[in-house]
Amino acid sequence: MRKLAQLLETRQISSTEVVEHYLSEITKQEPILNAFITVDAEGALAQARASDLRRQQGMALSPWDGIPIAVKDNISTKGLKTTCASRFLANYVPLFDATVVSTLKNSGLPIVGKTNLDEFAMGSSTEYSAYGVTRNPHDYERVSGGSSGGSAAAVAAGEIPWSLGTDTGGSIRQPASFCGVVGLKPTYGWVSRYGVVALAPSLDQVGPLAKTVEDAAILFSLLAAPDAMDATSADARAFPVPDWDESFIKGLKIGVPEEFFGDGIKPEVERAVTDSLEFLAGQGAELVPISLATNEYAIDTYLTLVTAEASSSLARYDGVRYGVRVPAEDSNTMFAKSRSAGFGSEVKRRIMLGTYVLSARHYGAYYEQAQKVRTLIRQDVLAAFQQVDVIITPTTPSAAFRIGAKQSPLEMYLSDLFTAMANLSGIPALSVPCGKDARGLPLGLQIMGSHFQEELLFKVAYLVEKYVGVEGGTFSDKL
Amino acid sequence: MTSYDTVIGLEIHVALLTESKFLCSCNTSFGAPPNSQCCPVCLGLPGALPLINEKAVEYATRAGFALNCQVHYFSRFDRKNYFYPDLPKAYQITQDAFPLCTGGFLEYYMDDQLVRTEITRIHLEEEAGKLIHSGATIVDSDYSLVDYNRAGIPLIEIVTAPDIHTPKQARLFLEQLRLLMNYIGVSDTKMEEGSLRCDANISLKPAGSSVLGTKVEIKNLNSFRALERGLEFEERRQSQLLNRGEAIRQESRTWDERAGRTISMRSKGDAPDYRIFPEPDLPPLNLDPVWVSLIEASVPELPLERLRRLEGEYGLSRYESTFLVNYRDFGDLFLSLAPMGIEHKSIVNFLMGDYARLAREHGHLTAERIAELLKITSEGLISPAQAKEVLEELFSSSLSPREIVEQKGLQVVGDPAKLGPIVAEVLSTHLELVGRYKNGETRLFAFFVGQVMRAAQGKADPEVVNQLLRDELAD
Amino acid sequence: MIDRQEVIRMAKLARLELSDREIEQYQKDLTSFLSSGKKLQQVDVSAVEGTSHAVSLTHELRKDEVGASLSQADTLSAAPEAVDGFFKVPRIVEEQE
Ligand SMILES: [Mg+2]
Ligand SMILES: [Zn+2]
Repeated sequence: MRKLAQLLETRQISSTEVVEHYLSEITKQEPILNAFITVDAEGALAQARASDLRRQQGMALSPWDGIPIAVKDNISTKGLKTTCASRFLANYVPLFDATVVSTLKNSGLPIVGKTNLDEFAMGSSTEYSAYGVTRNPHDYERVSGGSSGGSAAAVAAGEIPWSLGTDTGGSIRQPASFCGVVGLKPTYGWVSRYGVVALAPSLDQVGPLAKTVEDAAILFSLLAAPDAMDATSADARAFPVPDWDESFIKGLKIGVPEEFFGDGIKPEVERAVTDSLEFLAGQGAELVPISLATNEYAIDTYLTLVTAEASSSLARYDGVRYGVRVPAEDSNTMFAKSRSAGFGSEVKRRIMLGTYVLSARHYGAYYEQAQKVRTLIRQDVLAAFQQVDVIITPTTPSAAFRIGAKQSPLEMYLSDLFTAMANLSGIPALSVPCGKDARGLPLGLQIMGSHFQEELLFKVAYLVEKYVGVEGGTFSDKL
Repeated sequence: MTSYDTVIGLEIHVALLTESKFLCSCNTSFGAPPNSQCCPVCLGLPGALPLINEKAVEYATRAGFALNCQVHYFSRFDRKNYFYPDLPKAYQITQDAFPLCTGGFLEYYMDDQLVRTEITRIHLEEEAGKLIHSGATIVDSDYSLVDYNRAGIPLIEIVTAPDIHTPKQARLFLEQLRLLMNYIGVSDTKMEEGSLRCDANISLKPAGSSVLGTKVEIKNLNSFRALERGLEFEERRQSQLLNRGEAIRQESRTWDERAGRTISMRSKGDAPDYRIFPEPDLPPLNLDPVWVSLIEASVPELPLERLRRLEGEYGLSRYESTFLVNYRDFGDLFLSLAPMGIEHKSIVNFLMGDYARLAREHGHLTAERIAELLKITSEGLISPAQAKEVLEELFSSSLSPREIVEQKGLQVVGDPAKLGPIVAEVLSTHLELVGRYKNGETRLFAFFVGQVMRAAQGKADPEVVNQLLRDELAD
Repeated sequence: MIDRQEVIRMAKLARLELSDREIEQYQKDLTSFLSSGKKLQQVDVSAVEGTSHAVSLTHELRKDEVGASLSQADTLSAAPEAVDGFFKVPRIVEEQE
């Protein structure tokens, strides 16, 4: 992105040309890929022209002024439909921008459109989108992952240079891994959630997806900021893009948790990750075998909490103020009919589960118990960071699966097996491509760090990227 | 007929008098056009997040101290989930497991007896929107209209222990609570505008028994009268049922003001399951102890303290003190006037007399002007009748009492040389009465005074007139 | 297997109108989820408090200042039904279970 920024700065290329390039990619690929729910060509071009004018007058808003971006469709964009991939919000147009969207606009980034996701971010494949599945650019018969599948696929396919996703249990990292791009789930609280449609507020975070580690770091440097509109926003602290000095790797302690390797993991995945680990060791890192025993409980804890919070967060969709309304004799029936007509089956399933675990009779055994186990998981993770600087695991147990392959919901939930732990403990975690399997499908490696250790994650990822290379290059490489 | 003990507990919602709402910055003022004071947060739009108003926490804290509660530095917000058209998010942000305040009490007088009611807890929560029903009541309405201007106004919910024993006591408690909230300045407590609302739980048990009866909740008790009448009705209804050997159903009932009765709303058997859990969008409150102690120090003199001071320090009667406490502005005036060297009783008499009526119509006079008026009256510069005239003038004039007296030529005539001829004139025109007086009909004295005053057009100094008359009639 | 009535009760609480087929499906799904979740109940949590928030945060309270509201027209702009500045809803009946 630095190169593209340079070209824009020296006016060898205009933002309008850049946006037109990506729009034409979108036009070409969307009929198959389906990474976008809404494409705002007109709006993006208008923003691009405004950017060009600013560049002309030497008043660029940021070095990245004029570089387009796509935003996951559960992040509010004023005046631009935000559907959450749900029928319920098919015509919902927000009256305000999410803080992260304001940030993008204030940095001069034209927003090209809204990307596909599993309905209300509930899923791991975008198969639960009311607007159809997003195909994997590496194999159209396979899923792009989810829930930020549209954001990951669009970047991987070169429809957009970078994008925003959200991650509640792995929803940025898993699709990043499936599509062969870089994705970061930041430390809870470092990026504002204001305007991000809630799935599970105690776990949700917005993060960047990009083709390269540096691009992801640049985007994250824009997003990481305190926000007075979000009470869970962390204290003031900025994130400068790291210098890519490599000496830090000497003596860096990398934790390798035994629970994330071996049984249940595809050998190719394990091989690719191990390969990168050996490379890092060769650069001077120290590999430390560790244990994260509580990961055994991560999925069930995660599911209990995410469904509980979601059942409440999605209660507002009642047909009174906006969204779907199915007429009925009385309000209660109207609520039930509207919600049932507007929600897909996975959303209903999770609402049912969440209602159950919160209901008076089951609260203690399920919700409260899960909250306590969450404490144990958090303690386990934080204890590990007393021993090591970062932890490296596969992002997912396997490469992208076939569309329709996961039959039962429980099977789908296991997609978050390695990623949910970071959300439960609030720590940052990043997925970076680390090779391909025999079919040519990308594989991802997850780097976790302690709270606010994003810089370290990016620097380690930068080395891995250097080792395995960037698949297909970027648009600016070709210029 | 068995006799029963009544057990009443109250749940009071008090709207806090903040400028902006509890969790967003929308205006809280009353009476704006519908849905004109709303934003993404209080409408529950997707992605909007709540932010706690510091003033609401301050007011709730002050209320806690005023009600002798323990105020907790740590408290937490929870979501109470239920669907209702007036509840935009379909959950209310409230405090359940860790409320801001617990364990207090309120003392108040009932028939000259000081009684105490325990306060179980006080917590912060958000108000719902307002519903307007198409029909006369919710039940016979085809549709309802929703206004979210009120949604998100901060409330405190005050919960008492079930230790109120009569409907009248419940009313007295609520009156005292309302007074307290006014004293500490956290609410305007207008029951007619809904900024003070009361629900009651009532159960009956055989007299002397320690086993509680089945409790019934009464809602919609929207005035002091409704509270007392609703509870009286319910007391009667329940005792009749019990006497007939029937069981009391645990249920919610609503007070129908027009019909003068309570009506069943919902049986508690299917009480809603609120699925309460910690609010993830709001970190718990961790109040700064220094801040909390500053709030504690800001609690003003409370009604009962003031009552005791008025009786003890100023020697006023219970009746007078109660007047000054209940009308706090009058009490404040009294306390400003008291150190100005005027007799305390005459200040109270003045404040409770014509002044009370006039002040309610026109607003208060400054203590300085009142003091001057009382002084020139007690010094005999003007007569009581003239004082009244000056008082009325004071409300529309910017002049001081002395200036008014001067301007109107109201000065009292106290010079015996001027009054002597008037006295002589009056006595000489009523010779027959003078004779009767001298024969022992002393009550005629007042008549002669009145005649002299009239002849002097009310300007005569009564003391001097009395003296002159006594002298003349003694001959 | 979770009781069918329990599933119906949950659907009612969550204001979802489910077909018989859906009730059956969720009955199965809830059951399988809960049996997998049983593992959690074996964990000894006697010594821990629950975590309700991912990281401990200091809570900055908002100053009591009035900010801008939406216009009435904006507020009602997405309303499925609005009358005279109000949102309109059908008859409100108390919950019957
Ligand atoms: Mg309440
Ligand atoms: Zn608001």
